[in-house]
Amino acid sequence: MRSFVLWSLFVLTTLYPLGCYGADALKLRYLATILGDIKETGLKKPEGVACDDQGLIVIADTENGRLVRYVLQDNTLKGGTEIKVQEVVFPVRVQLNSKGNIFVLDGQLRKVAQLTPEGAFAGYLTPQGVNPPLVVPKSFKLDGRDNVYLLDIGGERVLQLDPSGKLLSQIPFPKNYGAISDLALTSGGDVLILDSAKSTVYIAKKENPQFTPFTKGLQDYLNFATNMLTTTRSADIYLMDQDGGAIVILGPDGLFKGRQLAMGWRNGQLYYPQQMCINKNGDVVIADRGNSRVQIFENLK
Amino acid sequence: MKIHLKTFILLGVLAMLSLGLNSYAQDNTAKFKLKPGAYGKLCLDCHPGFQDKLKKQHVHTPVKNGNCSGCHNPHTSAFSKLLESDASKICASCHKTLVVANPLSVHKPVADGACMKCHDPHSSVNKNNLLKTGNELCLECHKSLADTLAKIKVKHNPVEKGCLNCHDPHASAKDDSLLKERVTALCIGCHKTDRPSFIKQHMNYPVATSRCTSCHDPHGSDRKGILYNNVHKPVSTRMCNQCHEEATSGTPLKIKREGAELCRGCHSDMFNATFGKKRMHSPLLSKKGCLTCHNPHAAKEKGLLKESPLVLCGSCHADTIKRQAKSVTKHEPVKNGNCVACHDPHASDSALLAKQASVVDLCASCHDWMKHSTHPIGDKFVDPRNKNATLNCLSCHRSHGTEYKGMMPFPAISDLCTQCHEQFRR
Repeated sequence: MRSFVLWSLFVLTTLYPLGCYGADALKLRYLATILGDIKETGLKKPEGVACDDQGLIVIADTENGRLVRYVLQDNTLKGGTEIKVQEVVFPVRVQLNSKGNIFVLDGQLRKVAQLTPEGAFAGYLTPQGVNPPLVVPKSFKLDGRDNVYLLDIGGERVLQLDPSGKLLSQIPFPKNYGAISDLALTSGGDVLILDSAKSTVYIAKKENPQFTPFTKGLQDYLNFATNMLTTTRSADIYLMDQDGGAIVILGPDGLFKGRQLAMGWRNGQLYYPQQMCINKNGDVVIADRGNSRVQIFENLK
Repeated sequence: MKIHLKTFILLGVLAMLSLGLNSYAQDNTAKFKLKPGAYGKLCLDCHPGFQDKLKKQHVHTPVKNGNCSGCHNPHTSAFSKLLESDASKICASCHKTLVVANPLSVHKPVADGACMKCHDPHSSVNKNNLLKTGNELCLECHKSLADTLAKIKVKHNPVEKGCLNCHDPHASAKDDSLLKERVTALCIGCHKTDRPSFIKQHMNYPVATSRCTSCHDPHGSDRKGILYNNVHKPVSTRMCNQCHEEATSGTPLKIKREGAELCRGCHSDMFNATFGKKRMHSPLLSKKGCLTCHNPHAAKEKGLLKESPLVLCGSCHADTIKRQAKSVTKHEPVKNGNCVACHDPHASDSALLAKQASVVDLCASCHDWMKHSTHPIGDKFVDPRNKNATLNCLSCHRSHGTEYKGMMPFPAISDLCTQCHEQFRR
């Protein structure tokens, strides 16, 4: 009996903290700030950021009309070179494909530009075979095969394009949506879209591709989310609460799981943040637009 | 034989009713072990004022039957006025069918169970135990409509006669706004669409199935034909074919171009200015385009806005409106729904669609005191917290308000100042 009680206590004291660990999959500690490029030209309202598993960080330095490239290795930032091409005037969102090519959404031209890993312009992504043909991209994401998922607010749909831009499929927005501002892909191949106005995430399952509400009552947990992220290392969904200056974490079931960071001006705080990315170490990189900087946080979990 | 059968059925029904009432009364008598003859009279011994209520023309059936314990418990209750259940639920325990199944709209007092906002639970001189008669009752809550009705030049006859001509006071399964029928069906109940004068007024366009309230204010307006007070020029000049195909075509109501492209034809200056900007308001780029916020025909609001700016902007930016509502100090433009005082609703080169690139200049357009006496702000003063930022009004205030005085983000001024002046931190 005595050994049973002791064994139970042992199990409880060791497993309970692990349970807590699972319940809150993101715990951030401020690591570093990027204020400018290698020449110390300051960032100006950066809205986009992308990371890869080699430590590369590409920043959309929006109001300077350029990209800035850094490498994060062993918690040390290197590089800071500028990428400026005349075909991209107002970069707002960035993604990297499996070959290191840089995809940039130009918010003014409303086009997705492709750049080589070295930063040379390689052309615009032109959707082919799309009907109706008018496409107004608001955001985009890439999958593991480098297919492009384009959030087309003009056509009220998500377009799935192959790397050359050929249409593979399209999913119309749900009825009575508010303002769709971002999309994300789950590791299972489902597509998520974020309705900022209704504080709702919709899901289109791979086997039944039409959007249905995935979350409920999120307005109790966030102010106005404009960006959404999923990663291959976790089934959690991350929403960037622009007006609240925080990251809201949802579980794979769409339920609220936690909230990290807060609004402010000091290091570690956010002011109208935009895109975020997470690298292989779990470090979180955030385009802190209102503070004209990019901040890096390490994930203690 | 037929007469006998009818009489038999009638007598049977009467007997059952009588038995039912009797057993109800007996049930209550038994329940509370009332003295013989006390039912329906005992309460009046202490509540003599009810004698007057019983004399009114319309008395609630349980009151008329002396069944006070139908709603009240004579001994104890967890609810006010010794009610048998929550005041918001007790009426529905008998009146179960007032709210139709799958309603499209429910009157708020009904949804809240606040029946007594309109009805007296005991008796009234008015039918259905209403507190007041006719529009007087409705307009007591709908005050802004009352003000409008008092001022408008062209009145809609059914409104004068009574709100219940068009609205159901409890709920509607047909349309929003408690309408008894879908808008068009309701209107054509009176306005015959095949009359030559109707057809001529509508420029021969087949509007019989169109939504009448996209042009006409059903409560009346200052314009002939009760058109909304703000009318799109092609409508007021009867140039429907500027946007729609000809009335004689096979598809007369079809618009000539899709979405914003149709509007661009006339509003090219606005479009050129807007599409030349770096940041555009997303709804303008959506499929609905301009019609996300504007009505194409006529509207109550200036600029043909679908709603007042506070409601319209708040339909997407609810968090901002909510924050302002909770704010200790109100920022006048937000409070008044004048969002466009600071933001361009179409496009801007600045983040958050601010009207000016400089926050200081934007705030100074109203707060001119800052030009002569202020904490150092402007492009020359770097924010000590972040060398990429300069000091401006938003370094210390949040323009849509906070829970603290002066729209400051901290409870105490010292918390705010020591953000930068760290040497004074205690």
